[in-house]
Amino acid sequence: MTPGPDDDDTDSPAVDRDDHAADESDGAVAANRPAASDPPAFRAVRDHVREEIVRFARALRREGVGVPANASTTAARAIVVVGFDDEATVRAALRACLVTDAESIPTFDRLFPEFWRRLTAGLDTDGPAPRGDDGPEGALAPLGDAGAGEAGAGAEPESDAGQPGDGDDGDDPDPTSVAKASLGSVIADSGVDVDTERVEGGWYSPTGSPTRMDAIAGVADGGPSIAAAFDDLTDGLATVRGRRWRPGDERADVRRSLRASVATGGTVVSLPRREREPSDVRAVWLVDVSRSVLDTVDRAFLLATLRRARATWRDCRVVFFDETAREVSDAFDEPSAAAAVDALARAETAWGGGTRIGASLSTFLAASPAAFDRRTVAFVVSDGLDRGDVADLERTMARLSRRTAGIVWLNPLASVPGYEPTARGMERALPFVTGLFAFGGPADLAEVGRQIRRHGLGGRIGYEYDPRRGVTDTRSESA
Amino acid sequence: MTERRPTAFADVTDERLRGLFDDQSYVAEDELVTTVLLALRLGKPLLVEGEPGAGKTELAKVLAAGFDTDLVRLQCYEGLTAESALYEWNYTRQLLAVQSGDDDASVFTEEYLLDRPLLRALRHDGDTPPVLLIDEVDRADEEFEALLLEVLSDFQVSVPELGTVRAETPPVVIVTSNRTRALSDALKRRCLYLHVEPPSFEKERSILARKVPELDAAVATELCAMTDRLREEPLRNPPGAAETIDWARAVATLRDDDAGSLSLAEIRETLGCLLKEVEDIERVDESLLEALAEAAAEARAEAAR
Repeated sequence: MTPGPDDDDTDSPAVDRDDHAADESDGAVAANRPAASDPPAFRAVRDHVREEIVRFARALRREGVGVPANASTTAARAIVVVGFDDEATVRAALRACLVTDAESIPTFDRLFPEFWRRLTAGLDTDGPAPRGDDGPEGALAPLGDAGAGEAGAGAEPESDAGQPGDGDDGDDPDPTSVAKASLGSVIADSGVDVDTERVEGGWYSPTGSPTRMDAIAGVADGGPSIAAAFDDLTDGLATVRGRRWRPGDERADVRRSLRASVATGGTVVSLPRREREPSDVRAVWLVDVSRSVLDTVDRAFLLATLRRARATWRDCRVVFFDETAREVSDAFDEPSAAAAVDALARAETAWGGGTRIGASLSTFLAASPAAFDRRTVAFVVSDGLDRGDVADLERTMARLSRRTAGIVWLNPLASVPGYEPTARGMERALPFVTGLFAFGGPADLAEVGRQIRRHGLGGRIGYEYDPRRGVTDTRSESA
Repeated sequence: MTERRPTAFADVTDERLRGLFDDQSYVAEDELVTTVLLALRLGKPLLVEGEPGAGKTELAKVLAAGFDTDLVRLQCYEGLTAESALYEWNYTRQLLAVQSGDDDASVFTEEYLLDRPLLRALRHDGDTPPVLLIDEVDRADEEFEALLLEVLSDFQVSVPELGTVRAETPPVVIVTSNRTRALSDALKRRCLYLHVEPPSFEKERSILARKVPELDAAVATELCAMTDRLREEPLRNPPGAAETIDWARAVATLRDDDAGSLSLAEIRETLGCLLKEVEDIERVDESLLEALAEAAAEARAEAAR
C-alpha cells in the first residue's frame, strides 16, 4: 500500500481538511494545479466525490446492505484521511464505514469497482463523469461500454416483464442477481451457470419414474424412538413459560432479596429478580403433501411425528400445503393413526399434486395471522422442489422468519449422504431457515433433537453437522 | 451530529502503525491497518467481528502495548449490568457514614464512587488515552448495548448524583463480537466496521514464524496446511489462529528440533490443542487424518520447491 497523501498534511485543521484532500487528490489523479487559482474545477471535483459517495451508499442500500444513515459522512471523512491514491486503501476505508455485517461484504466488493471507476473518471480534467439520466436514486449505472462487464449489471439481456416497481428501466441489474446479492453470501453464487441451475433445480415431473436412493446407514435399524427425540426437541425449543422459576427479569424475588439484605444490616440494596422458566413449545408444522414429497417420505413416520407433536406440545398446529394450504390440526387428535387418516379423508385433504410453497404459505399467513408469534417455532416438512414463483417463496420465508422464533426445515431428500440444497426453492429458502435437517426416520428426528438441545436455535445446527455424514472431500475432488 | 473532538492519535501515520504491529509481532494485512488507522484518526470506535481465534482481542492488546498505554478491558457476559460496567456506589461505606451520623455531608461524592471499566477508561489521566476493549459485546444483553451508546458516541457518562463525566481525550475503543447475535443498528452506526477472516495459509505461517520461532519452518508449514484443511470441514468450533499457535507450541515442545514430518499418531495425539469440541474430535477419523497428512506433505513439497 502506498501512503496516502494525508501523511504530510496532518497539521491542517479539521475545518478545511475536506477541501485540502480533495485538492490533493485532484492533483494526484489529474494535473497538478493549485486550488485557489481554479476554484470552479476544484469545486467540481469536491462535489463529484461527495456525490459519488452518496450514490454508492444508495446503490448499496438498494442491494439490501444495511448502510447506516450517517455512513456517507463517515465515509467522506475517511476518504479525507486516507486520500485516494490507492484503490485497495479506499476499498478498505469505505468498507469499514459503509458495511456493518459480514454478509454484505460480497455485495460491497461487487459494487466497489464501479464506484471506483466513476470516481476516478470524474476526477479527470473533463470534470465529473457523464451521468446519463440516472438520478441520485438510481443504481450505479456503468460508464459507457467498459462498465457493462464488470458491474454484473445489464450483462444479461433477459427482460423482466412482470417485475413491477422498477423505477428506471435499462440500468437496473437483473432482478435475480439483485435478489441473490441481497440474500448475502450464504448460498448465493453469482457464478452459477444457468444450465447447471436448471438441472440441479429439478422440476419434479409427475410422469418420471422414482429412483431409490440409499439413505444414511443406520437410519432404519432400531434407532431411537420418536418419543425420545421429542423430549430432546422440547428441551431445546422451549419458549413458552412453564411453572418453575429461575433468576430473570420478570418480577422481584422477595426471598432472595431478604436473604441478601442480611449482609447489609437489614437494608435491601439489591433486588434480585426472577422469571418463569420456559418449558413448553409452541409450534406450527407446515407439511408439504405434494406427490414429490409423499414419494420420498415414510408416511407412517410422518403421521406418527405429527401426532406426537400434537399430543406432546401445548400449542401445536398442523397445516398441509401443496398448491393451497389448509389446517388439519384436529385430525391428529384422533385416538389412533388410522382414525387420523380417516379424519384427513373426511376433511377432503388431497394428497399428491404439485407444490407452490410460497403462494400457499402466504395465503395461510394472511388467513391466520395469529398462528405465528415470536415464541412459535415453524417446522417445514418439504423437499423444496417448488413449481411456483421463487420470489414469492423468498418473500414468504422472510416474513415467516421475522415472525417466528425460528424455522426448522425437515427435508426427506437430505437423508442421502451427499445431499446439498441446490434445488431452486430450497436454495432460495435456505438463508431464512434456522436449521435444515434430514427427515427419513426416527434417527433423523433424534439428530434434530440432539443438535437443538445442545446448541439451541441460534447455534450452528443443520444437516451439515450431522456426524453420520462423514468427511467432506472437497480437497480430494480438486486434487 | 455531535461535535468532533480532537483525538490524541490524529497524527498517527500508516508507517508508524505498521511499525507498531511489526514490533508487537502482530501480522496485519493492509485492510486491517487502514481501518485501524481510520479509527484512530477519526476517533471512532472500531467494531471487530469474526470467528473466535481470529485475533480480535489481540488487536486491542497490541495497540495498548504499542502506544505504551493502559488496556482497560470489559468482558461482556449475559446479565452484565451498569453497576459492573460503569460505576457503583460503595454502599457499605455509605451505610457506615450515614449510621455514624457525624456530619450531614452527602454520601454521593467521589469518595464513595467505585470506578468500573467504562468510567475508568473515561477518567484516565495520563498522556496517552487508554485502549478500551469491550470484548464479546454480543454476549451482553440488548439493554447493555443501549448503555454503551452514550459512551461510544460522546465518550461521556451521566452519573445522576454527580453530573456528567466526560473524557478529556477519547480513548481508543475496540468492540469485539463473535456474531452470536445481531447487534443493534444504533451501535453499528457509531462504529467503524472490520471483519477479520480466519488467517490465510500464508498469514498463518508468518504468525507461527513470529510467535513460535523455535519450531522448524517446514513443520510449521505442515501445521498450517493441516489447519487450513481442517477448516474446510463443517466443524462446530473451527480452529482460529490462537489454536494453531497452541498446537505449534505443543508440537515444538514434544519434538525438540526434529525437522521430520509429523506422523499420523503425532497428529492424532496433539489434535486436542486444535479442536475443543468432542463432536469435532470424533469427526477426525482415519480418512480425514490421511487427508490431513496428504495436505501437509503437499505443502512441505511446495515450500521446498
